Amino acid sequence: MSPASADLKHLYYQMLRIRRAEEAIARRYAEQQMRCPTHLCIGEEAIAVGVCAHLTVQDKVFSNHRGHGHYLAKGGDLPRLLAELYGFAEGCCGGRGGSMHLTDLDAGFVASTPIVGGTVPLAAGYAWAEQMKKSGAAQGCASVAGGRMPEATNVVVIFFGDGCFEEGVMHETLNFAVLKQLPLLFICENNQYSVMTPLAERQPKRDIYKIAAAHGLHAVSGDGNRVDEVYELAQAAVANARNGLGPQFLELHTHRWPEHCGPNEDDDLGYRNPGELAAWKLRCPLLQTRQTLLDAQLSDDAEIIQMETCLALEIEQAFAWALQGTRPKIDSMRQHLYA
Amino acid sequence: MRDVRLMSYGEAIREALDDALAQFPDMLLIGEGVPDPKTIFATTQGLREKHGADRVLDMPLAENGMTGICIGAALAGMRPVLVHQRIDFALLSVDQLVNNAAKWHYMFDGQQQVPLVIRVIIGRGWGQGPQHSQSLQAMFAQVPGLKVVMPTTAGDAYHFMLAAIADNNPVLFIEHRWLHHIIGEVDKQAPAAGLDGAAVMREGRDVTLAAFSHMSIEALKAATTLAEHGIDAEVLDMRCVSALDVESVAASLAKTGGKLLIADCAPEMASSGHQLLSKLVLAHGDSLKQAPRLIVYPNHPVPTSHYVANHYYPGAEQIASAVLEMLGRSELTASVIGALQSDLPKDQPDRSFVGPF
Repeated sequence: MSPASADLKHLYYQMLRIRRAEEAIARRYAEQQMRCPTHLCIGEEAIAVGVCAHLTVQDKVFSNHRGHGHYLAKGGDLPRLLAELYGFAEGCCGGRGGSMHLTDLDAGFVASTPIVGGTVPLAAGYAWAEQMKKSGAAQGCASVAGGRMPEATNVVVIFFGDGCFEEGVMHETLNFAVLKQLPLLFICENNQYSVMTPLAERQPKRDIYKIAAAHGLHAVSGDGNRVDEVYELAQAAVANARNGLGPQFLELHTHRWPEHCGPNEDDDLGYRNPGELAAWKLRCPLLQTRQTLLDAQLSDDAEIIQMETCLALEIEQAFAWALQGTRPKIDSMRQHLYA
Repeated sequence: MRDVRLMSYGEAIREALDDALAQFPDMLLIGEGVPDPKTIFATTQGLREKHGADRVLDMPLAENGMTGICIGAALAGMRPVLVHQRIDFALLSVDQLVNNAAKWHYMFDGQQQVPLVIRVIIGRGWGQGPQHSQSLQAMFAQVPGLKVVMPTTAGDAYHFMLAAIADNNPVLFIEHRWLHHIIGEVDKQAPAAGLDGAAVMREGRDVTLAAFSHMSIEALKAATTLAEHGIDAEVLDMRCVSALDVESVAASLAKTGGKLLIADCAPEMASSGHQLLSKLVLAHGDSLKQAPRLIVYPNHPVPTSHYVANHYYPGAEQIASAVLEMLGRSELTASVIGALQSDLPKDQPDRSFVGPF
């Protein structure tokens, strides 16, 4: 079902929030105070937002090195994300992770990590545990679920890129997810590039989602730059996973605008075909959604300006808070080796 | 009150898993062959029937993926115990063990825990060969955040297994295949084990033998024969590879006049024996009164043929011989080695063992 008008406006707002936050990070990155590899998701916002729109706080998300958008779309705390980039103790990992390691358990964002494929089986294991708790397979389910059975199955979402589909662990996980019919959503953000190497140099010409389908998943592909399409596909996938129909796979086509890692654009390096980036920019997920909102008179310029103002303030305040962070104490460096 | 029962090391592990499945409702026991008719050398026998197929289960041949899946389940509150019948297969899961399990608690600032046990089996004999008998404990112990233990006795096997499952950290639990047959006392009522500290297996005053896993048994054998010649060796079982108990070794050296022999069941390069020696020298350099000895495997893979593999593994004879040299009693070497020599082929731990595993 298409998002209702209020939902579409909300989706737009969420995408705009990620875009403006990422742009603000990019602007300040040159100050050399955010000293960690940072992979921006500008151009790919529709996927995180369209999928997370269907998740409750009990549903869990795992992500990868390009995780800011997933974190924010799932309700992760923006000031603590920024403090993490600055390496402050108030960061969501206490400064131990940086951009590539994010967590916000209050929001149900379990973790992002940068080893390609690393979090894919973790998401499956988490979903397996959720399934066991629901079914009472593990005798301890009552204690884990707080003494009562959950009403509906919580789902787990794993976001990954097309490069991850080359990793063995992805296929190992697909096999197990189908075997156990896990309440798990695989979201493949196919942006065609692994660092700067195009898909055609890494994989034969075939559809990624069809490989997943051959594993036995319900798998579809769609336009990852249209938030309404992502929203619809994810709605069905989340419902299927919740209702015990097993793992779901979405391959969503999109494009990353900035360089693989860092704040700049790198189209001058020539690894993309001439005009490729420009063409994708014309298909900007925000631009398309805003046009839909305006055309259908669901919103107007004044309201969109108000959104921008509101976000500018939020982001400014988030940076102000983050920049007042404190340095982690040197002797904290040894802490938490063991639980 | 002591409630001591005699059981084999393998039975002790089975018993610990059984008790843990009853004690920890969130525990899972998973691995290639866990419920098959051979039940991992009988260490998982009957557990599926007793605790259910949802909690005691086999798995796809996907060591890395399944390790990650167990980590994910652990993050969600389960306590998985994953078994690799050979440590060599754990190499396929090094990415998940090292990059995720070992540092998850640390890198997420103490907010998340990975209560995961990985059982791996090392061993020798019956042609285990280059890819079925590696001793990689030092490699894993090098990873911060991973606890690596190698219990030697049935009692330690039982209590360490329970402690590993109760632990909120990833624990690599290393069993030497040849220990599975050895019978020992298990006191279930004994206090819970910590996953650190060496154990004195035999008290003595003439020399300190600090050994790891199956080499502790070889050291005990050597000590028993040496005792017949009036030489009183103290045997320390090092047990915990990632938390080497240097203090206990130093304390033993104070009793034995600073004479130390270390026996490790691993190739020479960067073995845990070397680590122990290095830590001891740095922290207690003056505790050594003469050059220490180190008995380890040669630094090449194990050839399968028993005609040559027999010469790969050092044992009680080498330990005893080295001790006699250290004590200036080499005149006893021939008779001690004669007493230690067995007519049992060296690829066989005892007469009941007929392979093929």
